[in-house]
Amino acid sequence: MSERMQQRLRYLAFLVISILLAFGIGAIVLAVTDHEPLAAYKAMFQGAFSAPRHIGDVLEYAMVLALCGLACDLGSRVGIFNVGGEGQLLLGAIVACQVGVWLKGSPTWLVMVLAALAAIVVGGVYAFIPGVLKVKVKVNEVITTIMLNTVAALLCSYLVKGPWQSSSKYVTAGTEKLNAQYWFGGLIKGSKLSTAIFAAAVIAFFIWYVMQRTSRGYEMKLIGQNPRFARFSGLRNDTVVILCMTISGAICGLVGMFRVYGAEHIFKSGISNDYYFEGLMVAMIARYQPLTTILLSLFFAALKIGAEGMQASAGVSNHIYLIIQTIIIFFMAAESGIFTAIENRRMQKAARRAALARREGGTDNE
Amino acid sequence: MNDILGRIFSAGTFQQMLRSATPVALAAIGGSMTEHAGIMNIGMDGMILMGAFFAVLGSFLFQSAMAGLALTLGVGLIVGLFFALLVVKFKSDEFIIGCALNTFALGLTGYLSDSVFGASGAKGNPSLLVVRLPFLRKIPFIGTVLNGQSILVWVTVVLMVIMWVFVYKTPHGFWLRASGEKPETLRTAGISPERMKWIASILCGLFCALAGAYLSLGQLSGTFSKGMSNSRGYIAFACVIFAAAHPGKAYLAALMFGFFDAIGMRLQAYVSSELTQMIPYIITILMMIYVVVRQNNRRRAPRKLQGMAKS
Repeated sequence: MSERMQQRLRYLAFLVISILLAFGIGAIVLAVTDHEPLAAYKAMFQGAFSAPRHIGDVLEYAMVLALCGLACDLGSRVGIFNVGGEGQLLLGAIVACQVGVWLKGSPTWLVMVLAALAAIVVGGVYAFIPGVLKVKVKVNEVITTIMLNTVAALLCSYLVKGPWQSSSKYVTAGTEKLNAQYWFGGLIKGSKLSTAIFAAAVIAFFIWYVMQRTSRGYEMKLIGQNPRFARFSGLRNDTVVILCMTISGAICGLVGMFRVYGAEHIFKSGISNDYYFEGLMVAMIARYQPLTTILLSLFFAALKIGAEGMQASAGVSNHIYLIIQTIIIFFMAAESGIFTAIENRRMQKAARRAALARREGGTDNE
Repeated sequence: MNDILGRIFSAGTFQQMLRSATPVALAAIGGSMTEHAGIMNIGMDGMILMGAFFAVLGSFLFQSAMAGLALTLGVGLIVGLFFALLVVKFKSDEFIIGCALNTFALGLTGYLSDSVFGASGAKGNPSLLVVRLPFLRKIPFIGTVLNGQSILVWVTVVLMVIMWVFVYKTPHGFWLRASGEKPETLRTAGISPERMKWIASILCGLFCALAGAYLSLGQLSGTFSKGMSNSRGYIAFACVIFAAAHPGKAYLAALMFGFFDAIGMRLQAYVSSELTQMIPYIITILMMIYVVVRQNNRRRAPRKLQGMAKS
């Protein structure tokens, strides 16, 4: 067995064990709070898969998670960590929505193209700033993007209460609703799934292809893992890093546009509840591998939608899914550490046994 | 214009400033410890949230605010240990753990709040002592600002001074700083940097628990609502960065955030509070750029001097 294969198997085994353990701990939490764990998990499964509209919601959320996760993959591949996706997503969403509101009456294709472009530009610029600061000034991008997230959230909250506020009295903090002609077509009745998922699939395939199957992708890896070597082999590290960060932000902005034009048809507070952070955690569990990110997105989307169904049908708080999800992350993040600790203990034990054996049986051997 | 200035510099503003600043300052002092130990801790928001919840839970279960405080400090200790176990012992990515910790806290407190208190949340449980001193009331401006604040506001100032002395004037503080800056040198000196990192994490857990307790038992009377930390952990993180992990400066930075928060509330009739609240974040980013640029220039300066000497 090749070493790579072995590594993959180890990863897979650890992932499965982590998931099982997380569900186990989740069951304990459920049991302690007077819920039947098996019944709750059954309700969770049904909440995700029992009806077409549930499956539609799972796919819609998986799309959001996968794109956010891929945006994170893209940055971390070249060694820059985009934590600002939440802000980029929010700004992309609100600007795209406002484009639709302003251009009311224009042809559908024009509005949608312009909205997508606006979201891409806004998201991209909002990631470009921390990208440049990181590369040119060496300011830690994690900190700046976290600050910019809050700035973006405050800005959106200002806009929906002030200049861009809806005139409808039924919307307290939100923009005008989009005209139905501009929406992505719904695919399953009663679910949030829309044709936006096809666009998302194309983008996801493209990112996977570039990262895994082209020499550009290999160069990115080189820059991320060994920046000095990459520089000496003639790669323009700085440009690539800034570019990846900008594209990462542009994708997040586009996710915002998909959320507005595909699912919500309005910009309000529910457009994203830290969705980017959840996507980021999926990417982390997937070790920043694009394909694994996409597959795990489906799993975690099912978990979340299932938990919402469970809350409705079994009366169990849907927050349980956050607990299960983060326990998986704790295990996965500590994987190599746990392995080293076990290894160390085993070696220590072996050494102690050997020392004991030498001391006790010393006369026999020598 | 005078009206606006009058509103900004009124006693009410400064009273509100202390209220907004205290939880942030507590968390920022804790965050300064992990920052000195070389751990980038963005999990403070989750730590605060758990602190707020378990304070109310203790207060609710035992009908005593002190029991709530004790319970939340116990949980803070466990959270700090857990954080250190993952980050220091298992060497996991501190950033991922921080992110996950925030989400975990949201899930755990949300779930337990639903299970224990039901949909309406916890309200009206015993809260912490409010300090009202008769002699303070007689002083015009300061009396209004300082009187009627929670005891934790005063405790925070004391703790800030203690931690300041701890970090800069005691051997343990020296080792703590060394564990982040020059861990190998510290190890050569016979002191385990890992141990200092464990201590820093535990301290941070305790301080964030206090910050949470202030939110739920100090500011409001024994109330918990989901996600009530409301990104204060990130504000505290900004303060830590702004203050370069100096407890005293972190306290001042928290006051600055509190000030902008307060004038946001006071000036709602004139400017949107969101816009005033944005200012400190932008200042923090500018501050970081300034600090890094200054560092870079300093590093370059000797080389310039060498060049001059040669020519």
